[in-house]
Amino acid sequence: MKHFTSNIVIGLEIHTELDTNTKLFCSCPTKGNEEPNTRTCPTCLGMPGSKPVLNKKAVEFALKLCLALNCEISPELIFSRKSYFYPDMSKNYQISQYDIPLGKNGSLRLRDGKEIGIIRVHLEEDPASLIHPAGLKESQYVLVDYNRSGNPLVEIVTEPDLTSPDEARDFMKQLITVLNYLEIFDINEGIIKADANVSIKESDYARVEIKNITGFKEIEKALVYEVNRQKEDTKLHKKIEQETRAWDSEKGVTFTLRKKETEEDYGYIIDTDLTIVEITDKWVKEIKKEMPELAQDKVKKFVEKHKIKKEDAEILAAEKELAEMFEKVAEEINPVLAAKWLRRELVRVLNYNKKELREVEIDEKHMIDLLKLVENKNITDNVASKILEKLIEKPFNVNEYVKKEKLEAVSDTSELEKYCREAIEENPQAVEDYKKGEKRALNFIVGKVMAKTRGKATPKEVNEIILRLIK
Amino acid sequence: MSIHDFIKKVKNNEIDIVEHTQKVIEECKEINTEYNYFNTISEELALQQANNIQKLIKNKDKPLKNKKLLGVVISVKDGICVKDVESTAGSRILQGYKPLFDAFVIQRVKEEGGIIIGKTSQDEFGFGSFSVNIGVGYKVPKNPIDKERSCGGSSGGAAGISKKASFPHISLGESTGGSIAEPASFCDVFGLCPTYGRVSRYGLIDFGNSLDKIGPIGRTIEDVALLMDVIEGYGKNDSTSLNVKNEDYSKYLKKSIKEMKVGIIKEAFAEGVEPEVEKNVYNGIEELEEEGAKAEEISLELPIKYGLATYYMIGTSEASTNLAKYCGMRYGISEKLEGSFNEYFTRVRSKNLGDEAKRRIILGTFARMAGYRDAYYIKAMKVRTLMIQEYKKAFKKFDALVSPTVPILPPKFSEIEKLTPLQNYMMDVMLVGPNVAGLPHLNVPVGYEKNLPVGMLLIADHLQEGKLIQLGSAVEKGK
Repeated sequence: MKHFTSNIVIGLEIHTELDTNTKLFCSCPTKGNEEPNTRTCPTCLGMPGSKPVLNKKAVEFALKLCLALNCEISPELIFSRKSYFYPDMSKNYQISQYDIPLGKNGSLRLRDGKEIGIIRVHLEEDPASLIHPAGLKESQYVLVDYNRSGNPLVEIVTEPDLTSPDEARDFMKQLITVLNYLEIFDINEGIIKADANVSIKESDYARVEIKNITGFKEIEKALVYEVNRQKEDTKLHKKIEQETRAWDSEKGVTFTLRKKETEEDYGYIIDTDLTIVEITDKWVKEIKKEMPELAQDKVKKFVEKHKIKKEDAEILAAEKELAEMFEKVAEEINPVLAAKWLRRELVRVLNYNKKELREVEIDEKHMIDLLKLVENKNITDNVASKILEKLIEKPFNVNEYVKKEKLEAVSDTSELEKYCREAIEENPQAVEDYKKGEKRALNFIVGKVMAKTRGKATPKEVNEIILRLIK
Repeated sequence: MSIHDFIKKVKNNEIDIVEHTQKVIEECKEINTEYNYFNTISEELALQQANNIQKLIKNKDKPLKNKKLLGVVISVKDGICVKDVESTAGSRILQGYKPLFDAFVIQRVKEEGGIIIGKTSQDEFGFGSFSVNIGVGYKVPKNPIDKERSCGGSSGGAAGISKKASFPHISLGESTGGSIAEPASFCDVFGLCPTYGRVSRYGLIDFGNSLDKIGPIGRTIEDVALLMDVIEGYGKNDSTSLNVKNEDYSKYLKKSIKEMKVGIIKEAFAEGVEPEVEKNVYNGIEELEEEGAKAEEISLELPIKYGLATYYMIGTSEASTNLAKYCGMRYGISEKLEGSFNEYFTRVRSKNLGDEAKRRIILGTFARMAGYRDAYYIKAMKVRTLMIQEYKKAFKKFDALVSPTVPILPPKFSEIEKLTPLQNYMMDVMLVGPNVAGLPHLNVPVGYEKNLPVGMLLIADHLQEGKLIQLGSAVEKGK
């Protein structure tokens, strides 16, 4: 038993789908036809006489994850039967791993460098999905869809090293980044679920387990709720009982599932329908060779090699596609400028369009063209932002566009002065207001000049000229 | 007529295969009214296959020349899946289950022109040695030599029809702890249980996944070798199927056994073996010696001493998980939908599983429980490894080991009723060893005593089925 000192203690047990083409023990596709019970066969339906055959790709994906999480890899892959009766189980046992998980004793770093221990990583099959036609509690019956039955899952169990819901969220974020870098998880359609153990100092760390929280954002919500509930209850001198609770995402509350925490007996035995798979050093080496550089390596590299701020590096590295684009752009453009533009403007425009980088056609070539113009002051930041907004919609040749639309920055001071004079003459009231001490009136005039130049001048320069002219 | 001659005649269009098959079906139906060897007679499939063969023969289709089983009738233990034919493993809980696919062995039989005649009766899911532990509503098969006696089990129907059929026929049985050799012994036929993994288990309704083996039962050693030639081999749908070179078993028939060494298992002739059985097995050993083999006693302690305990721990543990899926939800029998899923599953299982199935589920679930798991299941797995090592040591010296197949003569049903479950389990005492160790073994009929057959058991090293056929053929010749 660990000796806890922090106010809050959280441990997570995370289940995530692996993005293989076929299921873990049969050749049914993991994706495609959404019509219920169409992607099934005798094996994933648990028909008598059918037998499981292991999907090697799923093992490789799980091995990649074990390596990325710094786990010790088991020399043998052994599957066990976890027995319990439930309508979503095609065989009333789940093929999972027990004594010897694929990976153990690993770790994952949070953003601030804190290391969270990983107890184990193992491979197992997903049950079917249950559909309650009239809601969870009111339905008289459930419908079972076996399309998901047999999909490959990894289970990741952390040490109770997390000390706040915030840390738990960061852990999930780091984990998803790893999954994304490894390209083993479908970030759009893949399912991520967690069970969480939560306890607080005030209750002498009475362990409460919250079951079945689906989705990355829900995990933090459920934890925040549960920590507050426990704190409030102890304040009211209510005893926090060791129990299992469920998360109701619609109401945003946790509720009691079972009181007495007796360990369920799953009667594990080895699944002798599957042979023991040797995980040779040679195989692990081959997989290591295929492993991409991970986010945390990239942050280090960006800071050391490209001399950008750690904060910027972290944002860039958090998304694989963004990090890769930055590396290419930084070869041609001042990395500090590139970092600023990618993490601020590009992310802003993507967010505005509710798009992910991998979903748009814009590539590093467009960014390099655009930022070269910015770097050489051929266009203003303002114009560049507008071009970027257009590029996200549909890419085009940036240089030609700038020429065609005559968007080059107005660098000729006499021309700029001409626009400023016009603006001053046209807005005498504003000039007067400014002179009376109303500073904001100056911005109004600057705005007028910017409109005349269609944003091709820098506000700073315009500001200076106007001040000089009205003094 | 030997099967060899029969196939020749079929190929030469000297036999009307459709007419022949129809006659066979009629005979099977008639035998069944008295002996209960079939749970299902697959009349439609058999006639359809016969018609197809007939057409090909008339068209002088060339590939027919090499078909190893052309027109031969094959009966199949109920626990082996045949596409579109009810396959229940003798259990009411699977009533109505018509598999969507053929088992690997059925694919092979069909490819070689064998005609599937039906599904033979058995102890429910293979749980028994007398075919009396049948599913709710099923009928007990009777010994073809004496109807008041058991034909053994669990492949009882398979062994019974193999003896009783007047037509060329071979049967597919299955053994987890002795279910091929034991009924073969009681029914005076040959039964070969191959090395674990030698024959793909794809399509076999599981009892114990690390123990189940499909193998042939037939009237002659030649028939057994022929069906073995057809069903052996690697199947990609069974992960435990061995990817090794195929053997030509027929070439071991009538091959000299000179200089072959046979080890007589000392412990297998101890207390509890009926003297009539012992005498006849020794006759069999003498026949082997007359043909030039050398026999010598050897002590093998572990299999007889710990075999049963090991077998029942592993077998019931695995079986209790395998049977969990039968809950009236996706296939097989169903009941009125009422109550929670737990109540429904319980009702379906309580009503439709037999007593022995329930007993083994309880035993197996107990052995897997936290707190007992290490003492029972894990311990049994370790003993299994030790047993394999002991056998391997013996096979450094011997080509085969010999013992009685069953310690007693086929008992009357009235006698069986008086046996306790433990006495029941003792029937397999000679057989659990090779079954737990995954070793190939063969029942060889060696004689009659009080008008009842006695069988001798031959055990060989992994993948040495050829030696068993060689030795079995020598005894058959000597008779």
